[in-house]
Amino acid sequence: MSDENTTVIVGAGIAGVHAAESLRTEGYQGRVVLMDRDRQMPYDRPPLSKEWLTGKMDEASMLLRDPAIYEKLDIDLQLGVDVTDVDPVRKTIAAKDGSSYDWDKLLLATGSSLRTLSIAGDDLQGIFYLRRMADAIAIKQHMQHVNEVVIIGAGFIGAELASSLKQLGMDVTIVERSLYPMEAIVGRDISAFLLNLHDCHGVNVIFDDSVVQFNGESTVEEAVTAGGQRIPCRAVMIGVGATPNTVVSHPDLEADGGYAVNEFGETSIPDIFAAGDCTLWPYRGTPIRVEHWDHAVNHAKTVAQNILQPQSSPYTYIPYFWSDQHGSRFQYFGHAKQWTKTVLRGSLESHAFTNFYLDEHNRVQAAFIANQPKNALPVRRMIKQQQVIDPEALADESVALKKMKHKTRI
Amino acid sequence: MQHTEGSNPVSDNAYIYVCSSSELEEDDLFECEIGTETVVVGRGEGNVYAVQGICSHAYAELADGELDGTCLTCPLHFACFDIRDGSVLEGPADTPLQVYKAIEADGSIWVSRERG
Repeated sequence: MSDENTTVIVGAGIAGVHAAESLRTEGYQGRVVLMDRDRQMPYDRPPLSKEWLTGKMDEASMLLRDPAIYEKLDIDLQLGVDVTDVDPVRKTIAAKDGSSYDWDKLLLATGSSLRTLSIAGDDLQGIFYLRRMADAIAIKQHMQHVNEVVIIGAGFIGAELASSLKQLGMDVTIVERSLYPMEAIVGRDISAFLLNLHDCHGVNVIFDDSVVQFNGESTVEEAVTAGGQRIPCRAVMIGVGATPNTVVSHPDLEADGGYAVNEFGETSIPDIFAAGDCTLWPYRGTPIRVEHWDHAVNHAKTVAQNILQPQSSPYTYIPYFWSDQHGSRFQYFGHAKQWTKTVLRGSLESHAFTNFYLDEHNRVQAAFIANQPKNALPVRRMIKQQQVIDPEALADESVALKKMKHKTRI
Repeated sequence: MQHTEGSNPVSDNAYIYVCSSSELEEDDLFECEIGTETVVVGRGEGNVYAVQGICSHAYAELADGELDGTCLTCPLHFACFDIRDGSVLEGPADTPLQVYKAIEADGSIWVSRERG
């Protein structure tokens, strides 16, 4: 590739930074421009709800890369640039401030935006969403004077926040709309297990109910639920999911439910690629969206290879996420919209188990691991290899997962 | 530790006993504490090696990972290290692991108290 070539990456989150770095480590000689609407140096998001909130990490240790790395790798970092319009014919991208950038290849790594709720009284102070560093800073500042917190949503972000705030000694109530949060991902038993874990750690959980009103003078003082409960609080944190951020748009750019990409990360417009949270990508033939750190890293690295060498590296990674809550570590591999049966290895009571989600052929499609990190790599291999597994052997802890391939029946 | 300790191969007490040779088969990992440090000992391609037991990227015990030949994979974010010298083979880690000396003598495995 000639030195005149320019790749512009929109979004300097986990995907954008890894793509920029990969382009260089894979030998790209052209210009690399990495832009973000945030003015801060690119930082890591997972610790925002955990180590940062509990004071175990400071701002400097949350940077994705030492600032000197961008210069060393000749990555032109453009911060505070909010791009919206793309012109695929002229190959330019326009920012809100009127500036325009030329590109030969464009990578959209715009991430996701939080779903928001509209609740009476939500203009009161002390009501937060957590997505960016600026949110985290405002939350931490506000929390210094707060004892009672309401968290809306018992998904992974809500659960991690509950765990962090409980660690800080606060009085925490989670209000969850459904009876079994995340049932579609982990199943009813594990959902109930996760709710129970909050209970065990002194977090008050109100489920099958939702907050309909906030009351207070200037700062929130009370959350009122549809079921008529009035929960005193001085802070509210809302974590009710995310949607793909597809703000960079063009009529020819398919972006319904995320930028549609093929296995190489190519969008519907030539020379425009997308990676990470903002994409709808084919996992074993089905388009899915994954909003997790591990996917953002690996998708970005693979797409960077395809920017360099067109269609050289199909993306075949097994989706994965982890979550730390109340001293437990959870890991989830794979993706299963539906499953035929589940197999539990270990016991829920011991808080150390692996729950497998099998298809009709007894192949492992997904697995939820609680406090059994040793199972992580064997489980990932199982999902990758798609061998038929004997469910009885799978449930039997005396049969090593590593050896499971010798126990298969085909 | 329940094991009967073999004779110390180093007279100045610079090494501590970890386990018997038979407890560490090819690709096995064994975690031990040296002072306040967690250390992981592994057998790769027949030889015994020891490196820091906590991943240099984020908190995870490497003994819960896997050793394949001389490549040690972390179970949390799947960073890979060369167990022989602690170097990073694949991210997300960017800091090498601290290395300890490991020796095998008379059916016992020993690890140096000091790094390097």
